[in-house]
Amino acid sequence: MSYRKDNRVALENDAVRLDIVEKVTGAARFTTDYYLPNMLWAAYIRSDYGDSRLRGSNVNAARAVKGVLEVDLNKKSGRYHGDRLGHICAESRQALEKAIVALNLKFAASWPRTRLEAERTPLNELTPAENDAEAQKVLDESDVVVEAEFQTQVQTHCCLEPHGCVVHFRGDSAVGYGSTQSNIGFRNDLARELGLRPDQVEFHCEYVGGGFGSKFGCDNEGILAARLSKKYGRPCRVICNRKEEQLDTGNRPGSIQHMKIGVSHDGKIHGGKIATWGSVGPDGGGGGVRNPSRYNFGTIAKVRENVNLDGGYPRAMRAPGHPQAMFAVEMMMDHIAAQIDMDPLEFRLLNETSDVRREMLKVGAEHIGWSQRQLNNTSPGPIKRGFGIGVGDWGNRGGRATIGVNVYRNGTIEILSGAQDVGTGYRTMIGDVVRTHLGLPRELLVVKVGRGDLPPGPASGGSVTSRFTAPKAFVAAEMARNGVFKLVAEQWGLENTLDLKLENGVIRGDGQSIEWRKACQLMSDDHLSFLTDEDGDFWKKPTGSEAVQFAEVGVDVETGVIRVKRFVALQNVGLPVNRHTIENQICGAVIQGLSFCLLENRILNNQTGTMVNANMDMYKIAGPLDVPEIVPIIWQEDRDVGVNSLGEPPVVPVAGAIATAVANAIGVQVRSMPLTPDKVLAAIAKKEVNL
Amino acid sequence: MKPFDYLVADDFDAAVAEYGEGQATLKAGGIDLLDLMKERITTPQTVLSIDRLQALRYIQEKQDGIHIGCLTTLADLGRSKLLAAKYTVLHNAAVHAATPQIRERASVGGNLCQRPRCWFFRNRELHCLKKRGPTCYAAEGENRYHAIFGGGPCHIVHPSNIAPAIVALDGSITIHSSQGEEQRIKAADFFVLPEASLHSENVLQPGQIVTKIVLPMAPSESATIELREKQSSDWPLVTASVARLQGSWRVCLGAVAPIPWPSQPAMEVLGNQELTPELAAKAGEAAAQDAVPLEENEYKVQLVKVAVKRALLSAAGMEVPTWD
Repeated sequence: MSYRKDNRVALENDAVRLDIVEKVTGAARFTTDYYLPNMLWAAYIRSDYGDSRLRGSNVNAARAVKGVLEVDLNKKSGRYHGDRLGHICAESRQALEKAIVALNLKFAASWPRTRLEAERTPLNELTPAENDAEAQKVLDESDVVVEAEFQTQVQTHCCLEPHGCVVHFRGDSAVGYGSTQSNIGFRNDLARELGLRPDQVEFHCEYVGGGFGSKFGCDNEGILAARLSKKYGRPCRVICNRKEEQLDTGNRPGSIQHMKIGVSHDGKIHGGKIATWGSVGPDGGGGGVRNPSRYNFGTIAKVRENVNLDGGYPRAMRAPGHPQAMFAVEMMMDHIAAQIDMDPLEFRLLNETSDVRREMLKVGAEHIGWSQRQLNNTSPGPIKRGFGIGVGDWGNRGGRATIGVNVYRNGTIEILSGAQDVGTGYRTMIGDVVRTHLGLPRELLVVKVGRGDLPPGPASGGSVTSRFTAPKAFVAAEMARNGVFKLVAEQWGLENTLDLKLENGVIRGDGQSIEWRKACQLMSDDHLSFLTDEDGDFWKKPTGSEAVQFAEVGVDVETGVIRVKRFVALQNVGLPVNRHTIENQICGAVIQGLSFCLLENRILNNQTGTMVNANMDMYKIAGPLDVPEIVPIIWQEDRDVGVNSLGEPPVVPVAGAIATAVANAIGVQVRSMPLTPDKVLAAIAKKEVNL
Repeated sequence: MKPFDYLVADDFDAAVAEYGEGQATLKAGGIDLLDLMKERITTPQTVLSIDRLQALRYIQEKQDGIHIGCLTTLADLGRSKLLAAKYTVLHNAAVHAATPQIRERASVGGNLCQRPRCWFFRNRELHCLKKRGPTCYAAEGENRYHAIFGGGPCHIVHPSNIAPAIVALDGSITIHSSQGEEQRIKAADFFVLPEASLHSENVLQPGQIVTKIVLPMAPSESATIELREKQSSDWPLVTASVARLQGSWRVCLGAVAPIPWPSQPAMEVLGNQELTPELAAKAGEAAAQDAVPLEENEYKVQLVKVAVKRALLSAAGMEVPTWD
């Protein structure tokens, strides 16, 4: 087994992001940066409460505000705080704000459904799973049966760049700017709303400030902007403010997970029963939790219920259903291990389904110093140290994408992709694939992504972007190189290009050499152009994007305050392309997972259903001082693999790793996220009573 | 945010006169005011910015103590070698507040006069008592961050990071009125409980502004300990500021009551004794003895005990648990 402690990637590429200067200087233009001449401003009218009834409004006063074009209040009740009841359109932001005030909405609330634990069907009243009897038999025959219940909270989407769109309808064409994970989907949605063909809509999404699963299609903001732009023949801007962003752009649903698992004394899990309740919006579903997984749980009878609450709706969020599942799964693994008096790492190695992760667990244990882990923490002082484990993975199927490459007479290589860089470094990845494969310097590279008129790329969801596009980028690079080789072969009078090689910017063969730039001057056209949707030989055996993480935490048992001290994150990415962007993804996932585990929580007022912390002040997200030392380790079992998924897998294990570390530190599990001081102190107090 | 007129003052007397007219809302750093305006909790017709009046930004050592101008920023307090050396209790409180960016903008006056950070008060959708509505939602609602002392009928906690330290130092606050009158009152008397004044958190009347604070004497020992669940950009769950003045210990708690909460029981236990770990723990227990927690904030009682104990240990130069 080989792994490299210094994190050097296979392509030995430490280059910074291609767009770092644009991002740092503010030259990069995001959707919110577009203020078009003669632009209209519009916003949705929203409900103050959950399950509310409108009992008063002053539409006429709002319409009377100077500069207001229309006020459309078309619903009399709101299902959740932030629910859309209509809209206002105005000439200016000031007029829009004045009209919202003048509208003076009054709502009546009626004790909405706000708490999952209160609204769920009790366990004994759920319809048993079809294989319930089989699972019961497994439990009856097991040496030890372990039972526990875990709860996770609602985590709201909170993109730094809010959802929004600016549209200019021009009769037989339109220009749109939107923040999206699918610029082609966004463009097509706009075209539909505007009654245009997709080719009539010019769409821009060159930079995105995060999506995390919440930005597919043109969404409510794009629909409203498109309709109003078409109606008035003027540009229109609809962009969520911070509060709207947290109220109405979706969330990771909360869950309660009840587990009853049978195990033998030798550490083998045989099976059992799992019931899962997921908190969803006022109607519909989407509360699924991906348990059990990663470990071999044997025969499981699983039942689940979507529990409707009068809050915002769930939506895909980075590895939907997985982090909350692995919080419960890892806690259950530790709980079972404790019941059969087995080390949690050893117990995991016994029940792990992946050989790769088994090796990663051994290596990660060395890095974190697992041998220092104490079963009963007897260290002096109130701050106790603990260690925990989390695992995850992701699928790596192939998929469609097209990459274009232009080679210009000055040697510049222009790479074209209609996929979007959602902030993760796609622009850098695709550029570095071509550059490193050809061995050319970065200054010869131009990468254009995120426009609807570029060769089609995938929507950036399910962690597909890199794995779908990278093989095509390798093929496109070879096409570009062969195109220039052909020019050189003709110049040198060679019958074919087989003996030519491109190394360090110089083409050699037949005892001759020519610099790339000079070779490109041999072309008679302005540029050579290539397009491919082929994987060629570059679709390699996929990995499982396995993720194994170890957390070291400190817990102040007098105050319940937790600090994550150190975090080792091993990640299989297949073929690594750019070390910085890979490590950024891993570190970002660890921070997001930490924030989920310890801090974030949607709080709905029990009397009104109002989300009381819908801002980045009271909705607590980890800040710089909350971030531990993170050690990202890029796993390299072999080089003969493709570029694989990285967006979602590293966020899957984080909460489980931290929560099990906390339990190790204080000697009792805190089974409800977020793990806040009040819960930690309550768990410690309960343990002391039981002792 | 509702549109408004924006005036920038370049002269103190003119600014006070303008403010005295009653039409304008004062802005110093703007940290609190902007949040209130964006949420339409406050919708002023006119905002009068005084943040260019640099004459109000100073830390001066005078015969009657340290004078700190109202426009001195929290970052200024943090950079002051004088405060770091002699007024640790205030220095501790300032350097950990919010974020570096906010500390560069947030003024001493604004920090003392800011409105509560209660999430019911801060949401325009909820018509709570403090906004002249019918109910305090915290009484039977989501109250994990609310008061365990002095609550009722409203259960806010006072959000100032530095106020407990100033009260512990027996500081005073100078108030200037639009008539040109100046009065100096004890910091402990500046803040008022909801039972006395539901709609404001201090004694300021219309047209009055805080111009400076005065710290009469340097403590022989002092410290502030803040306990937080989030280490960046957050308010503490509990603050304990302790200072020993002329031999006597003073203890003031923050984030646990609608005002900076001087802890008489803790001060009675401490008196003017030399500190020992046992005495610190006893003072912590005493500080928590009169707490009346709400449904979700009983944990704060334990945090009060620990914060007071550790602040005292820190002030006395004794060992305090660290994360290293």
